[in-house]
Amino acid sequence: MFGVSGKRAAGTFAAPVAADARTGVCFHCATPNPPAARWHATIRGEDRVFCCAGCLAVAQAIDAAGLDAFYTARTAPAPRPAPNDADLWTRYDAAPADWSRARSDHAREVSLLVEGLTCGACVWLIERGVGRRRGVLEARVNFAMRRATVVFDPDRIRLSEILGEVAALGYRAYPYDPRQREISARREAKALLARTAVAWLAMMQVMMLALPGYVSDDGVAPSHQRLLDWASLVLTLPVIGYCAWPFFRGAWRDLRILHLGMDVPVAIGLAAAFVASALATLRGGGAVYYDSVTMFVALILAARYLETTARQRAGAAIERVARHLPATAERCPRWPIARETDVVAAAALEPGDVILIRPGASVPADGAIVDGDSYVEEAFVTGESRPIARRVGDRVLAGSLNRDRALVVQVEAAGEATRLAAIVRLTERAASARPRVAHIADRAAGWFVGALLLLALITALVWSQADPARMLAITFALLVVSCPCALSLATPAAIAAATGALARRQVVLARPDALEALSHVTHVVFDKTGTLTHGRTAIENVTTLGEFDRAHVLAIAAALEAFSEHPLAHAFRPFDTGTVIGEGCTVVAGHGVAGSIEGQLWRIGRAEFVGALAGASEAQLNLALRKVSPRATPVFLGNEAGLAAVFACTDTPRANARRTIDRLVAQGVEPLLFSGDREAVATALGATLGIASVRGDMTPEDKRAAIAAMQARGAVVAMVGDGVNDAPALAQAQVSLSLASATPLAQWTADVVVLADTLSPIALILDKARRTRRVMYENLGWATLYNLIAIPAAALGFVTPLAAAIGMSASSLVVVLNALRLARGERDREMRRGHHAIVKG
Amino acid sequence: MDALFLLIPLSVVLILAIGVVFWWSVASGQYEDLEGPAERILTDDEHLAP
Repeated sequence: MFGVSGKRAAGTFAAPVAADARTGVCFHCATPNPPAARWHATIRGEDRVFCCAGCLAVAQAIDAAGLDAFYTARTAPAPRPAPNDADLWTRYDAAPADWSRARSDHAREVSLLVEGLTCGACVWLIERGVGRRRGVLEARVNFAMRRATVVFDPDRIRLSEILGEVAALGYRAYPYDPRQREISARREAKALLARTAVAWLAMMQVMMLALPGYVSDDGVAPSHQRLLDWASLVLTLPVIGYCAWPFFRGAWRDLRILHLGMDVPVAIGLAAAFVASALATLRGGGAVYYDSVTMFVALILAARYLETTARQRAGAAIERVARHLPATAERCPRWPIARETDVVAAAALEPGDVILIRPGASVPADGAIVDGDSYVEEAFVTGESRPIARRVGDRVLAGSLNRDRALVVQVEAAGEATRLAAIVRLTERAASARPRVAHIADRAAGWFVGALLLLALITALVWSQADPARMLAITFALLVVSCPCALSLATPAAIAAATGALARRQVVLARPDALEALSHVTHVVFDKTGTLTHGRTAIENVTTLGEFDRAHVLAIAAALEAFSEHPLAHAFRPFDTGTVIGEGCTVVAGHGVAGSIEGQLWRIGRAEFVGALAGASEAQLNLALRKVSPRATPVFLGNEAGLAAVFACTDTPRANARRTIDRLVAQGVEPLLFSGDREAVATALGATLGIASVRGDMTPEDKRAAIAAMQARGAVVAMVGDGVNDAPALAQAQVSLSLASATPLAQWTADVVVLADTLSPIALILDKARRTRRVMYENLGWATLYNLIAIPAAALGFVTPLAAAIGMSASSLVVVLNALRLARGERDREMRRGHHAIVKG
Repeated sequence: MDALFLLIPLSVVLILAIGVVFWWSVASGQYEDLEGPAERILTDDEHLAP
């Protein structure tokens, strides 16, 4: 799978890594070495051991380049190097304009997505390693965004050489084209940050200038008060003219379409308070509300900023989707007469074209195999983590990865017609039909504003008859005292506080109103592979059937499986002794591995494949199969003399899955398990984890329909999933969650992304959402009570503008402080336990 | 207290200047990567030279 290698063991390296041959882990990537490690090199004058040839090559390249200081400075292990894609890189050279932008006549700039960055030393390594190449003018790595920007002279260095250099250092880089949407989103976030900061700066200063008026007993001398007012006016001008500009623009947009949105009361309140204050200052006396104005703007902008950054971080996942579809394809125009290929854009492929897909490359279009057989990893499209054997006549799907051997494929559907595109569209449709809590809140505010404006008008009319001299002051007092700060701050402040608190626990809310939906959740649906389990297989049980002992059959199995890249084969890796060596081993796609060891012919894999060599009858195989629990996948081993062993391979549940389920049940939420895997496997896992409602053998559409049926019965469903096959279900559920290890599309669809690769925050999220809802109700209740008392009092003339301003500020403060309770507290056992789980996991 | 007539306008000018400087720092992209520079300063050439 893509991108997971760098995340391994995150958090276990608090101190610089002391990689050491004696500890039995690879000097470069810190994965355990095979028992008899065959890869040695002298790095920094010491003999080091490596887990594979790839790590060895990378470490030698780093050492030879004089960049070995990387090993002392790093705080996390390096990623295991990716396979060499030299063929792919050279293709980027063909059309430099597609991948890089001209800076000047002799400089082009390319943006790269970099996989495998684990700590600051990686940044240093790539910047130095690439930067020292001739022709590279500048290399900058953005650690937070996992991006690199390289400026190079196309006459002196080619793009493929730069990509090769990054790969030589052990990372994987892809050029990408930053889309217009992303550029404008970044610009918006920048502007919002600047507005927020300027507003806070002005707010603090204006508060200071307002203080004398609040604390002095006998009033400030009029000349000094005028000085303070003028200073406040100057400081408030940028807040109104620059910081609050989005509110005025939004209000104007709303008013033009005769819609009373949240921005309207904000804009009117601000404008009324500011104009009244400015007039008073210009006239040389009267009440001013600069402090209220600036505080209001600063708080609302802060809330918006928190929401925006959280959304953008989650939105970055969208871009990663595009990377899975290759930009180019190799077409064989003269197939089947000749195999020579030309490179065309993947989007230009048409049904009937014959394309060549090299091992390690992504499939650019849906099609049928016409030549070759290989394992294809469809995790990105179907969520199935195991590579699937595909041979002539089988279909392959765009976005999946060809693992083993070259395939020749006849295109059936390309571009928008592929299954991947269809899943994306399905997701979008379900997403757009979601209930929007935000709209309801906005409509309620619209009514409030409409009523308020009407009341202000009536008040002004009545007082213009009763006492024209007090008309202006009373109308302003009404607008200011009821300035729906408390009402409009109540929700955003609570959401912002909760968003911030969750972000510190590695949880990103992609949709701000997800909290509201989360607080009502009655059922949580889990996906199995990759969500409740790690998605990695392990040998659960070994049953020996012949004269060989346990250690021996494991060694033989490991020697054979060393030739396979199948995920089941990875379960055998730790048992590779290096002393039992397989000869003439061949991988039979979909069946297993055959080879000779110590002069005997052996087979490992499926029952019928091994049974055919061992001469085992169906009854014998079934007898052996009974030793394997129904939730495990059986792997047979045998030679010509008979069956030797059967291994039960299972995907292990996450360490904290059981506790998370228990806590959900304790919260009164019903957990469910929907799996695309075999019914028996799903049921067994459900029993282990304490989930009563389990369904297996479900297609993505089944999952979506099942959730829809639950919703029809009144359930509020949260879905936790990781694969693209979960995408329709994620979109159908009222609220969707995905983990850090999920595929980009699942993360993109999800309302909530848990950045840590652990389940434990899920119970915490639900708890936080409920507390947020309670705080929001408290805030709304308080704001309603306050307005019910303050508005009539102001309309009747009992409230001076100054009292109105103080009342409004105090009311807002109550709301904000109440909301901030969500950001504090409970940094207790919950948090530490969660963190502990991350380290262990 | 007459000093206030000098000091308060001075503080206002100062705040505006700080605001402009901050606005520039945001516009020049200094807040886009808050993790990298913190790490980069620890891995300076001098410190890393063997």
